[in-house]
Amino acid sequence: MNGGKRSFGSGGGGGRGKPAQGAAGAQGKDGQRRPMFRRRKVCKFCAEKIDDINYKDTKLLMPFVPERAKILPRRISGTCAMHQRKLRTAIMRARQLALIPYTAE
Amino acid sequence: MKRKYELMYVVSPDATDAQITDLHAQVEAIAQRLGGVIEKTDNWGRRRLAYEIGPHKEGTYVLELIEGGGELMKEIDRRFKVTDLIIRHLVVRVDEEQTVIDRTRTKRSETSRRRRIARGLPPDRAPGEGQREIDDDRDDRFDMTEVER
Repeated sequence: MNGGKRSFGSGGGGGRGKPAQGAAGAQGKDGQRRPMFRRRKVCKFCAEKIDDINYKDTKLLMPFVPERAKILPRRISGTCAMHQRKLRTAIMRARQLALIPYTAE
Repeated sequence: MKRKYELMYVVSPDATDAQITDLHAQVEAIAQRLGGVIEKTDNWGRRRLAYEIGPHKEGTYVLELIEGGGELMKEIDRRFKVTDLIIRHLVVRVDEEQTVIDRTRTKRSETSRRRRIARGLPPDRAPGEGQREIDDDRDDRFDMTEVER
């Protein structure tokens, strides 16, 4: 269905998807679709060993609140459950202090 | 009760420097009265607010690290609620989180040391050792370069 070069498919389920094995899954020769490349998602905080998700660190948090200023879901960012929880509290605290917007018009 | 709290407040941009130091003095006075200590004060200076709060678009951020009991923070919180000059404030307890962070850090370094010894390597990583090459390494973590909407 998806023509996109890279797509976050549903295969992984949670954040810790299995490493994409062989770009094309079970695709026959019939379709002219390009082999789907599923990017392996890894929790940023686990990978970079960031222990402290702090509300004061706007630089760290901003990528997780895209334009609309909603918190980016785990299914897209690939953050693990534990870090997503910590991220959420940090973002909510930062919002209280007007470091991060609640919403953007 | 020895606990550590972080107090952060946003002062209205109309406030003068004298008023800001006065607020700090107030906090200090309350802390002293109720047996607390201010460990650190950090003035971030004037910053743009992420959203407008009433008429304000900017504010002066001040961060204080306080050691003391819950009663102390309650009193400061109550005071700040009625102070017009302060547009936002937040009190967060930090000591517990800090111990958790320290614990995970030591645990991680210990396991890495243990494993390295088991593999017959020196316990500490030499600088630059074991760093994967950057080109494919960065691809698997989220860095906001692409977002599926």
